[in-house]
Amino acid sequence: MKPILLQGHERSITQIKYNREGDLLFTVAKDTVANVWYSVNGERLGTYNGHTGAVWCVDCDCILNPRKTLEPCRPWLCKQLAMLNTSSAVRTCGFDFSGNIIMFSTDKQMGYQCYLNYFDLRDPQQIEDNQPYLTVPCAESKITSAVWGPLGEFVIAGHENGEINQFSAKSGEILKKVKEHSKQINDIQTSVDLTMVITASKDCSSKLFDSTTLDHIKTFKTERPVNSAAISPIMDHVVMGGGQEAMEVTTTSTRIGKFEARFFHAAYEEEFGRVKGHFGPINCVAFHPDGKSYSSGGEDGYTRIHYFDPQYFDFELEA
Amino acid sequence: MNMHDTEDMPPDVDYDEDEPSFSDPEDFVDDIDDEELLGDLLREKPQEADGIDSVIVVDNVPQVGPERLEKLKNVIHKIFSKFGKITNEFYPEGPDGSTKGYIFLEYGAPTQALDAVKNADGYKLDKQHTFRVNVFTDFDKYMNICDEWETPEKQPFKDFGNMRHWMEDPDCRDQYSVIYESGERTAIFNNDPKDPIVAEERARWTETYVRWSPKGTYLATFHQRGIALWGGEKFKQIQRFSHQGVSLIDFSPCERYVVTFSPLMDTKEDPQAIIIWDILTGQKKRGFHCESSAHWPIFKLWFSFYNYFRRYPLSKTHSLLQSMGLLDKKSLKISGIKDFSWSPGDNIIAFWVPEDKDIPARVTLMQLPSRQEIRVRNLFNVVDCKLHWQRQGDYLCVKVDRTPKGTQGVVTNFEIFRMREKQVPVDVVEMKGDPESKNAFAWEPNGSKFAVLHGESPRINASFYHVKNNGKIELIKMFDKQQANSIFWSPQGQFMVLAGLRSMNGALAFVDTSDCTMMNIAEHYMASDVEWDPTGRYVVTSVSWWSHKVDNAYWLWTFQGRLLQKNNKDRFCQLLWRPRPPTLLPLDAIKAIKKDLKKYSKIFEQKDRLSQSKASKELVDKRRSMMEDYRRYREAALLQHQEQKAARLELRGGVDTDELDSNIDDWEEETIEFFINEEIIPLGE
Repeated sequence: MKPILLQGHERSITQIKYNREGDLLFTVAKDTVANVWYSVNGERLGTYNGHTGAVWCVDCDCILNPRKTLEPCRPWLCKQLAMLNTSSAVRTCGFDFSGNIIMFSTDKQMGYQCYLNYFDLRDPQQIEDNQPYLTVPCAESKITSAVWGPLGEFVIAGHENGEINQFSAKSGEILKKVKEHSKQINDIQTSVDLTMVITASKDCSSKLFDSTTLDHIKTFKTERPVNSAAISPIMDHVVMGGGQEAMEVTTTSTRIGKFEARFFHAAYEEEFGRVKGHFGPINCVAFHPDGKSYSSGGEDGYTRIHYFDPQYFDFELEA
Repeated sequence: MNMHDTEDMPPDVDYDEDEPSFSDPEDFVDDIDDEELLGDLLREKPQEADGIDSVIVVDNVPQVGPERLEKLKNVIHKIFSKFGKITNEFYPEGPDGSTKGYIFLEYGAPTQALDAVKNADGYKLDKQHTFRVNVFTDFDKYMNICDEWETPEKQPFKDFGNMRHWMEDPDCRDQYSVIYESGERTAIFNNDPKDPIVAEERARWTETYVRWSPKGTYLATFHQRGIALWGGEKFKQIQRFSHQGVSLIDFSPCERYVVTFSPLMDTKEDPQAIIIWDILTGQKKRGFHCESSAHWPIFKLWFSFYNYFRRYPLSKTHSLLQSMGLLDKKSLKISGIKDFSWSPGDNIIAFWVPEDKDIPARVTLMQLPSRQEIRVRNLFNVVDCKLHWQRQGDYLCVKVDRTPKGTQGVVTNFEIFRMREKQVPVDVVEMKGDPESKNAFAWEPNGSKFAVLHGESPRINASFYHVKNNGKIELIKMFDKQQANSIFWSPQGQFMVLAGLRSMNGALAFVDTSDCTMMNIAEHYMASDVEWDPTGRYVVTSVSWWSHKVDNAYWLWTFQGRLLQKNNKDRFCQLLWRPRPPTLLPLDAIKAIKKDLKKYSKIFEQKDRLSQSKASKELVDKRRSMMEDYRRYREAALLQHQEQKAARLELRGGVDTDELDSNIDDWEEETIEFFINEEIIPLGE
């Protein structure tokens, strides 16, 4: 398959997200800008400027229109809706299912603790006062990645020590807790119906969990730290992207385009395919909501959109 | 001047004078008590027992009459003053006035006495008289031995089981040892082409690394306090050798002895740097000093039948020992020797001596124990030499770097000695090009070919030569522009791997030298080691954690270069194949098997096919059950999802967003034109 190359960032991509219909792809990077592209041909629609630091995460709400996007502390509505200041960097953020409540977590930095904050966008008071309606501190291990649960009842957060916790959105208490990974969780993504989540961890593996019970269902092992993983909406496949930390990159094979996205069969836990092309470790992967294409954003600053060949859909492991 | 030389020398004029006498004149009578006078001195009076340790008894001294006594004393002095100052001597005389044939000598210190015993015992004065020297105290010791013979306590027989157990594997799987987790874990695997099967796995089995004995019977592990040997079916501990700080070991080819080296322990009296042990009894056999720690294996060669080994200090002399005693009680001294090497097949040693003024450099082949020089070759203008023996000892290659007269540069020749032919003829192959970069040389085991890598990266060439019977050395093939810095022949010959290790990023080329074709070219990125299994069927390339911190794994290939397995092991360090003992089959039995090979290969192929299909069936079954579980889970999840639909509708304000096409009515259609391609078509005139 021939990929579409999106060049719009000067530094490494931190996250990419499709909107609900999949026609738009949002990419954010360390160069303080956020771009939005048409996923069908890679044409750039526009750029969001205004951040002063690296943009770590982006989320797009699911109402058909208007479109809002959320980045560290700025919910935009085509133009900026609101700006919420925080005392330390915002690591993850997300709209809940209804699109009204946003959660984001702040980093443990410069003496500030890691907090998980909830804002209700329908309440203008909260935004004006910069006061979340709920703040949950995380003393032990900072949150490195988080997603909303199915009905906006809780947030599933992954921590630096490999733990996964469910934080209630109403009370902030921890509903469930599992520790399956041994090292930092780099990314958590949900399946399109929000019943499953997949975690990507620095311990070179990726695991599939049930969102509500946090039962560990499957494990996918590799030899490199996994930076991101996504579940295919239509097939029993997962895609994982990873590679070494930027510091150690020179010690691995630097032959052109060696960093690969790996496809695993979700039920058999076996790898069945790889896609080359990135010049650096892959930081984020995402499936198009219709499952016919996927995108990956890398340390090299490029985002590649791949449309699957027909053989991909016919492929089956012998069983 | 060594001991030999004093045999016929005239006696020296000067010799030690007797001590002056301090006695009082004969008729002196003193009235003072000794105690008063010399009380303090008397207390220090040497006791009878004190001086005895420095006394030696020399037996088999010629019995001479008084007229020749002086001469005898001179000779004895000459010989024995070497070990220290002789403070006292006593030549007991028999009734007829001649010496009894044994004498007592006293030295200044017990160490000197010990020295005398060590070196003079067995000294041949002349044909009839060979000195036997003992420390005086030994007599006491032996006299006091209990008359009753106490049978030594019977040690229970430690049954280690079948030591050759691994050879009996019905599928003929070889074993290999793997050290991983940066040394924390060591495991022994049975090599199966599908997946390695664990035979044994232990944490902290060794502290640094492991070694197999040459026939594969023992596994040696290293520890701070010494080494341990393990073997048998369950890898029980067979023997332990205590040697503090041991860092290097070497086995004898017959697996009877092991020598350990530790840079730590070394005292003048009791040399402990190098120790030779008997494996079966666990006894320490001999200890040696180590003059320089740079050169290992210091004991080059162990020979299966004769238990020779030889020590190679940096200085010019060597000692040859046979069965733990000095061969013929003489060291083989060759002055100026630069390097030597034993033939792996025979009792022949090859060494070379560089140029010395007018004498050209020489390579000598000497047979032992006869010390006969079988072949000597003079070489002119030599800069350096390296000795390479072929595995069976059929050929010796001496790589000679020379500066021909009148030129500045250095050229390299390979002098090939054909050992199996009368008079050991020598043929020369000239290597063109810059010899500084002669990277590697390797003989084919079991064969008569050799491979050379030469040239500078990136234009390294691999050349293959065949040594023919009539003396011609033919260049079979040369591959150029290879990425290789090492040659690995299969232990059975014919096949080999050219590898570019470490800095050359693990490029691999699998070559069949029967027709010099490249069977396969592959790569194992950053490979640091290549190991053939003892049968020559498999090759393992590995990236060791000791050389590269990531991607530590070992890959298994067939001898043709087909990749079979990739085994990632966390912080993998080292893989060593377990060697096989030589085959027990006689030559004609082997020939018979080769003739019937077709019959055997059919059976094996069938077996292979069965196991393959069995494997895929297992895999298929496993997948089926996994899929079933997964499906069940998904169905349950979907059910739950359905139940929550109402909640979802509410959250999104009545808009059904479950499927992408759930709301077709709400869709707007928009046609956008965008630029795809530009094509310029010139219109003809």
